[in-house]
Amino acid sequence: MKRISVDIGGTFTDCFVVWNGKYIETKALTTHHNLALGFNEAVEKAYNELDISMEEILAGVDSVRYATTLGTNALIEHNGPRIGMLVTAGYEAMVPLSRARGYGEGLDELGKQNLPDAQRPVPLVLPHMIEGVRERLGFEGELVMPLDEDDVRHKIRTLVDKGAQVIVVCLVNSVVNPAHEKQVERILLEEYPTHLLGSIPVILSHRVAGRKGEYVRATSAIVDGYLHSTMYHAMSQLEQNLRSHSYSKPMLVIHNSGGMAQLNSTDALQTIHSGPVSGISAAEHLAKEADLGSVIATDMGGTSYDIGIVVEGGIKHYDFNPVIDRWLVSVPMVHLVTLGAGGGSIASFDRMYNAVAVGPKSAGSDPGPACYDRGGMNPTVTDADLVLGYLDADNYAGGSIPLNPKRSLFAIEETLCDDLDVEAVEAALLVKEKVDSNMANGVNTELRVRGYDPEDFTMLAYGGNGPLHCCGIASNLNIDKILATPMSSVFSAVGAGNMHQMHIHESSLFMVLYDSTSRKVFDNYQRFNDIVAELSLRGKNDLLRQGSNADDIKHSLELDMRYGNQLVQTTVVVPKHSLESVMDVMNILDQFSTDYGKRFGEGSQAPEAGIRINTIRVASYVEHDTVKFTHIKPVPQAERIAPPAPSGTRSCYFIDSGAKAVETPVWNKADIPAGTEIVGPGIVASEVTTYLIEPGWKYVSAEQGAVWFLRAEAKN
Amino acid sequence: MNTKVNVDTEVQDQELIQKFLKDTTLFLGPDPEIMRDHSIMPRTEKEEECMDKYTDLNQISSIRDRLQSACEEGFEMVEQMGAAPGAKWGDIITGIYSASGDLTIGSAGGVLIFSALVHHPIKFIIKNWIEEKTVGVQEGDGFIHNDSRYGNVHNTDQSMILPVFHEGKLICWVASTVHEGENGAIEPGGMPSMAETSFDEGLKMSPFKVVEGYEIKRDILTFLQNSVREPKLQYEDMKVKLFACMRLEKRIKEVFATDGPDALTACLRYTNESVVTEVRRRISEWPDMTVRTQTIMDSTLRENALLKINLAVTKKGDRLIFDFSGTSPELTNRAINTQLPGMKGMVGQAFMNHIWPDLPRGQAGLSPVEFVTQEGTLVDCSYSAPNSQSLMSIFHSFTVAQHATAKFLYSCPDKYTRVLAPWHNMINTFIWGGVNQHGETLGNLCADLNGMGGGARMDRDGEHALSPIFATMADIGEQEMNEEEVPFLQLVSKKMTTNTQAAGKYRGGMGYTMIASTKDSDQWGFMTTTQGSKAPTIQGLFGGYAGGSYPMCRVSGIDVYDILLKNPEQFKHSIPEIMNEQPFENAIYHTQHMGLGFDISKRGELYMISQGSGGGYGDPLERDPTYIIMDIEEGLITADYAKKLYKVEFNEETLALDLEATEKLRADYRDQRKKQGVPYAEFVKKHVKDTPPADIPFYGSWNGDVDHVYAGSVDDKRDANNPGPIYVTHPKDVRIAELEAELDAVRQQAGIPSTDTRK
Repeated sequence: MKRISVDIGGTFTDCFVVWNGKYIETKALTTHHNLALGFNEAVEKAYNELDISMEEILAGVDSVRYATTLGTNALIEHNGPRIGMLVTAGYEAMVPLSRARGYGEGLDELGKQNLPDAQRPVPLVLPHMIEGVRERLGFEGELVMPLDEDDVRHKIRTLVDKGAQVIVVCLVNSVVNPAHEKQVERILLEEYPTHLLGSIPVILSHRVAGRKGEYVRATSAIVDGYLHSTMYHAMSQLEQNLRSHSYSKPMLVIHNSGGMAQLNSTDALQTIHSGPVSGISAAEHLAKEADLGSVIATDMGGTSYDIGIVVEGGIKHYDFNPVIDRWLVSVPMVHLVTLGAGGGSIASFDRMYNAVAVGPKSAGSDPGPACYDRGGMNPTVTDADLVLGYLDADNYAGGSIPLNPKRSLFAIEETLCDDLDVEAVEAALLVKEKVDSNMANGVNTELRVRGYDPEDFTMLAYGGNGPLHCCGIASNLNIDKILATPMSSVFSAVGAGNMHQMHIHESSLFMVLYDSTSRKVFDNYQRFNDIVAELSLRGKNDLLRQGSNADDIKHSLELDMRYGNQLVQTTVVVPKHSLESVMDVMNILDQFSTDYGKRFGEGSQAPEAGIRINTIRVASYVEHDTVKFTHIKPVPQAERIAPPAPSGTRSCYFIDSGAKAVETPVWNKADIPAGTEIVGPGIVASEVTTYLIEPGWKYVSAEQGAVWFLRAEAKN
Repeated sequence: MNTKVNVDTEVQDQELIQKFLKDTTLFLGPDPEIMRDHSIMPRTEKEEECMDKYTDLNQISSIRDRLQSACEEGFEMVEQMGAAPGAKWGDIITGIYSASGDLTIGSAGGVLIFSALVHHPIKFIIKNWIEEKTVGVQEGDGFIHNDSRYGNVHNTDQSMILPVFHEGKLICWVASTVHEGENGAIEPGGMPSMAETSFDEGLKMSPFKVVEGYEIKRDILTFLQNSVREPKLQYEDMKVKLFACMRLEKRIKEVFATDGPDALTACLRYTNESVVTEVRRRISEWPDMTVRTQTIMDSTLRENALLKINLAVTKKGDRLIFDFSGTSPELTNRAINTQLPGMKGMVGQAFMNHIWPDLPRGQAGLSPVEFVTQEGTLVDCSYSAPNSQSLMSIFHSFTVAQHATAKFLYSCPDKYTRVLAPWHNMINTFIWGGVNQHGETLGNLCADLNGMGGGARMDRDGEHALSPIFATMADIGEQEMNEEEVPFLQLVSKKMTTNTQAAGKYRGGMGYTMIASTKDSDQWGFMTTTQGSKAPTIQGLFGGYAGGSYPMCRVSGIDVYDILLKNPEQFKHSIPEIMNEQPFENAIYHTQHMGLGFDISKRGELYMISQGSGGGYGDPLERDPTYIIMDIEEGLITADYAKKLYKVEFNEETLALDLEATEKLRADYRDQRKKQGVPYAEFVKKHVKDTPPADIPFYGSWNGDVDHVYAGSVDDKRDANNPGPIYVTHPKDVRIAELEAELDAVRQQAGIPSTDTRK
């Protein structure tokens, strides 16, 4: 296998090259003005290592794959085009009002609770750039009011006169009947044909999101329209760069659905969060390859803690209405939760409860923790870690950021010690205990609302602060096994390298499998089968268009089901893709009941209230070769080897040993071969992170840079 | 003489009498001892012992975080699994209560007042059912409750309450509450304004056991299903609440396993006491003073009337006293009264979301606040008075509390959020019921009640249709989803209602228009239950204006769906255009106050309302003219409105501002104001009257005399402490009497004798 996968982040462009079984990890600074430059630099390091030319490597790979945060950044920077919007008349304030709750989307809990401070985010479409068009369709797509073409022409001209550069159209019930949206598109193209310089791109909501919910579909189309040109230009630049270096195959773009597609089959919206989603995909692949069972993927960086769930058995956890930046949208995105907890989280004294509080405020990277010596005066988690002896002040982040322990000590003493009536070390321990507990609570909630118990999971820890805090977090969760991932410095890029080409198509509908009023069981099999066939065909055509072999295309069928009039829709993966008998229907009902019971508790099912399908979804995909994770599992106890002599020791403090210093051995990760076992306490430092082995835990190194943290008393 | 023996004998006699009375209690009705007390219970010996045992406040903090996380888990379960529209759009909550019944930790999301009132039914269970041999409280039991007379906002909210035991000992309670809507009342949807007695209000569930061994008792479930219009909803949501409570119980038991039940007991007590201490400290920071304010309710939802909610807030040291003396007496046969806990709970909501939003969500936040009310008033009604529309009086109570406290906050250097003008306070939404397009019987409401306009702030405009006053992150929903389940369309769903802005230096957040029409059912109807069609329900702040007043409009005698297909150009997407232009032939155009009783609708008839605006902040003459132009561009106000209220000059075509002319206009208007000014004594002499106007039914105190209240007539002045019953005549009887009088007059004119044999 020969492949390049790239994760273009806000700071670094991570690159993972697979070349005839050799895996190469490289990094370069992201070059925002021209992403190709950072990419080239990262690839250069790889081809130098392989001792071949860039042309040779690009001509030889089967694909180049990109995951990028470009879209997320563009949203935050608010540098998109001026959008004009057409909605069903009577719904002009739908977007500005953002379902009322829009003020709090993407904020922390206090931001949501604090109504007098509430402020909706700066809109992507200004309210006066929204016009209502006279038309209406009913919930089954039936005509209620015909589209007034003259009105549409007038409204389009009004928007263009006001400076619209893109027109987004979202009409009520367009997902069940897109005729009116298409009619608007036709009129717009008549008025502003594409061959003219003044042509206006048009985005129809039903093409961006296939589910009901006019507001979330509208925001999806808006975000898509807002990012379209930015993404198009940046990605085209990348593609052009590839072409000029002898790459002749299509460039593949990672989607937040957990799949990927060619650039010409990608909505801008689908690229948002594709970097972190790639990390979860890598976690999924790792779990399968190394037979880890269910895993909770955690990425702790400087300001955030990302959590993803990968459950054994292939059940995918999607957010159908994820929040992107501050916008609630409709797109099937791999479930990902971000907690505001990281090394930069600020510790404070909670006057109400006479205890330590950590977060949600963060010092970020500028000014950063007090120990960065960049003017930060607030004590942070990193300051506490430094005071506790976990970090090497001279070699933090490979020595790129010198730390000043005096600043940490001062900040902790000033902010916490007097109020808590404790010494600095005790305060720092309280900070560590609190942040570990906060993150554990976040993981707990994530798993438990889905019916899972953390004890049944293996924790994957990556990101700069992941291996430093993972033992503390896992202890709070009763998790016995932590895997600090192999290739952790480019883990998301590794995930991008493993993805399959995939397209998801879904149909929003009202299909009653059991009608509690008439007490009838669904028997219109043809309707069900026709919809599945149509969605499968659309997916197949997408893949054929991209050059896939018809024989390689596979489909997965998922149904979003609910009891009665509930909000929750439980996704059921159905192995049989057509209905032929009552038994087939009963099998679906049984599977729904089982999945629902697992999540909410056995007995909580309510079939008596009726059962219906709200969405039929078909994921069409082509599988590709994947990266091999070999010898990742910890070697048996008997085969483990003792560590080499430590490179030194440091005085550290641990929660169980209180304020008493423990002389803790320190190793360089590069000195520790696979199969080594170190019993905690201990510290293993690398250029990108610090592996903290807390008392009660042991460190077992594996191949490809993977590291296990195992509870000392567990059987492993 | 041996005094001691006599005293002992008297005590003994009293005890005997008390025992006899207890043994012969006919009916365990609402208990004033429980219902009138909103403070946290005294520390028990057990709590004292646990607090002595667990002194590490960081451990306590860690347990608290876990319990909070458990409440969020329970909340999400209810939100996801719940079938009621209220559950889907956030009108729910889950909470953990101490062994004595105090709400200690509520979920961050949802409606705090729900949980904050459940301590009353829990205390009722503790007092009456634990020792009662026919009931008892065991592990695996669950109690249902909805009756506001035992502690609730109104009977449409149903709670499930579970005790949590450890090795046979009761450690705490958990509960989950949902605004269910339908409850079998005289009108569908659970909030009947037609209710004239408590027996018109549907299910009246005092706390009783409905779950044993973690299973819902089928016989009782059947009885409850049989008592409401939506048996499916009743079943689904009882189950949902039970499983959410069971999940909470499970999490609490995990704390027992790791830290022990005593640690949990200590945590709950520490939490409540810490909050009380902090609230007292914050109160101490406020200036010592008294602020007086009032609002006027303009209808009973059945007829027009003016009813006063009067409030004086006094702060002295660490005491804060809310004195509602002078408030209108209760109406014996109207549903707008509230039980005392409902009013207090709503004031508590003001503190939690609008004054100190950083406070944890529990009962302790309100515990230090003192209340003065008179029994038999709108805010402290008797147990026999109907209160299914208690929202009217509790929302007004919220507003006066918000208005008064804003003045304390303004004067206090340490603020925990922005000072703001009152939020819009009415649930301008459609309540609906009937048989839907799928043949199901439904009764509930549109989530638009969650879109109340926010008040203007000290430094910025209010946000439009942001949130109800009683919840955060509540949702106004998606029409495409609603239309799958109900047989009507909102032909206008979210369009800002022009010129309903509360003006100010910073303007209030505005509301939007809703036009609904039944489409796919011939058994469907609507009602609206809102005040403020004649007098605004909120005030502005520091010179800012009040929100506007909005009538309810209807068009009958048409099928708009025919019109939309055949003559679509006739339909207009705004209430003023439809009502002023009257574009449909042979249609009947109605306007009325916003208390529309349940009205069976025919296909294609139009029902039209608007959400309301939050109050303005500061003098409109100080508003930045560029903001005014932005409001015009966004269609929020018209040029006429802007010029009239803000005194601003601009080109109406290009919207180019003339700042110089604007300055002059404003300076001239200020001069005019000065000229209109008169000395205070002169103003009083001219404007203040000794009695309310004779031609308006007025209820409440007049001119600051809070010892007396008027009861609907200038001739009916009563003792405020004992106002007695007030019966209001049925509007139909009023109308019949009017028609009979007219008929009588005609007969007399024609020389025909009266046919009324009663005369």
